Amino acid sequence: MGDLLKNKVAVVTGSGRGIGRGIALLLADNGAKVVVNDLGGAVDGTGDSATPADEVVNQIKANGGEAVANYDSVSEMQGGENIIKSALDNYGQLDIVVAVAGILRDRMLFNMTEEEWDAVISVHLKGTFTVCKAASILFRQQRSGRIITFSSTSGLFGNSGQANYGAAKDGIAGFTRAVARDLGRYGVTVNSISPGANSRMTQTVPQSARDIRAASGMQASASVITPLELNREPEDVAPMVAWLASDEAKDVNGHVFHCQGGQISLMSNPTEERTLRKNGRWTVEEIDAMFGGTLGMDMVNPAPAQAPK
Amino acid sequence: MANYLDGKVAIVTGAGRGIGAGVAKQLASEGAKVIVNDLGASLDGDGTSNTPAEQIVEEIRSNGGEALPNFTDISTMEGGESIVQSALDNYGQLDIVVTVAGILRDRMIFNMTEQEWDDVIRVHLKGTFTICKYASILYRQQRSGRIITFASESGLIGNTGQGNYAAAKSGIAGFTKVAAKDLGRYGVTANSICPRANTRMTQSVPDSSRQLRADRPEDREAAPPIDQMEPDDIAPFVAYLASDQAADVNGQTFLVYGGVITKLSLPRRIRTIFKQGRWDVEELRTLAPQHLTQNLVNPSPPQQPK
Repeated sequence: MGDLLKNKVAVVTGSGRGIGRGIALLLADNGAKVVVNDLGGAVDGTGDSATPADEVVNQIKANGGEAVANYDSVSEMQGGENIIKSALDNYGQLDIVVAVAGILRDRMLFNMTEEEWDAVISVHLKGTFTVCKAASILFRQQRSGRIITFSSTSGLFGNSGQANYGAAKDGIAGFTRAVARDLGRYGVTVNSISPGANSRMTQTVPQSARDIRAASGMQASASVITPLELNREPEDVAPMVAWLASDEAKDVNGHVFHCQGGQISLMSNPTEERTLRKNGRWTVEEIDAMFGGTLGMDMVNPAPAQAPK
Repeated sequence: MANYLDGKVAIVTGAGRGIGAGVAKQLASEGAKVIVNDLGASLDGDGTSNTPAEQIVEEIRSNGGEALPNFTDISTMEGGESIVQSALDNYGQLDIVVTVAGILRDRMIFNMTEQEWDDVIRVHLKGTFTICKYASILYRQQRSGRIITFASESGLIGNTGQGNYAAAKSGIAGFTKVAAKDLGRYGVTANSICPRANTRMTQSVPDSSRQLRADRPEDREAAPPIDQMEPDDIAPFVAYLASDQAADVNGQTFLVYGGVITKLSLPRRIRTIFKQGRWDVEELRTLAPQHLTQNLVNPSPPQQPK
């Protein structure tokens, strides 16, 4: 058992299973007292069950750590406040917030229902806001704190069939960059993780979607799984989160890190690749004449038009 | 009048003022028939007025173009569906959707209310989804179409006091990248613009926020004074993306202001550490600061309490 997070108190949302569970266990293993938040819903967000959070708490205690379960929904303002209050009520302080809770409702854009859109935006995006907002009031007063949110390559790069999830996850990346600037001066850091892991959530992605993504070069299909993809356990994401949550990472603020297996990458923001510049306003004719040989050079259509089947 | 968009029908949301108005007029001047959608609300989303949309339609008509005003609230599914229906009812087709509609409710995260969060997410993010969803049904059937959404550097780079706006605008960027992949095979393109322009919206940013943002060395280069950047400067590139000439431009994000058009990259891996198997926290304590996060600049360094 390490002492990197000794005397710290952490909240981890969505920590009943998968990546969140791995984080809760590791933070506790490094000395933090942990509020294990999980509604216990199905991957699509339906239902609830106290069991997953309780099981993680029991395991932390069996390992000699301290933890308490919480079952509030992150997608309500009151839920976010209750989760933060649970840390204060049980442990008298709060130092670390890790927002992992999320659901999937994959559907092609032309078939996506309002309910599928709203549910995913609500749990991921608003669920990140509610907890971070409540924590930020406290973090600002105490002039310290750590926020670690969860983005995704689905949002950073785009993934077929995930307009809702991609919007939510890239939205979280943008939220993280803005809030890092709101809170940095108070000694608080806000960073985001884009995880690659095989979890209950990724297992729900249908084979047809995997095939489409493989055909567009997005990722390997199940039939061609690379060693890297095979060896990426949900628990692999936790060590970087634990380090970011520590005092030692006090100058790391406003960044996105991709974590997958034994690979951890610092991601750039979108950067300027090629520029067309003139004095004054362009005409459409001028752009048409210039585009192909400049901005359009080597530009790849990620989903080229196909003949009707 | 040029003819890049002859025979096309376009919807432009938030087209009553600012960037959207410029886009609507440009598309019309290139030959497109345009549904000029604007709720006519105040900047923070309150109230409604038919005047802004009607004025732009008048202007388009006096220049010899075709346009119709539309006052529907884009942030409901019914609204999105009815705007698409309005293009079909009036002009019999739909080829181009440009989603510019947006509001601002700036607030530091620790003071931001649920209402301020919900309103901004609803108008920008859901307002982009509602129209694009219904347009995409049509586009898929006709195997053609253009979607041009509006993101912002506030989300892609980060801006103080805009947790809600940054989330919405980055969300639109993510949404657009997915839409491009969902629809590209049907001959549809979806691209996103990050505009810089001096508009009613940017004028509402308080001086204190401007000062705060100007004080950030890392952000300063990304946010020069925008006084000389006209909202109408954005429109020519939108018209190009909407044309048949841009058939292979899909899933991209462009920064556009003044006479500048920049293609933005996707996020890149800047630095990577790798090992076989799981990292140990003790290993990261050494390697992360030595390699992964070395010399990173904190965009908002801690300050002494005042």
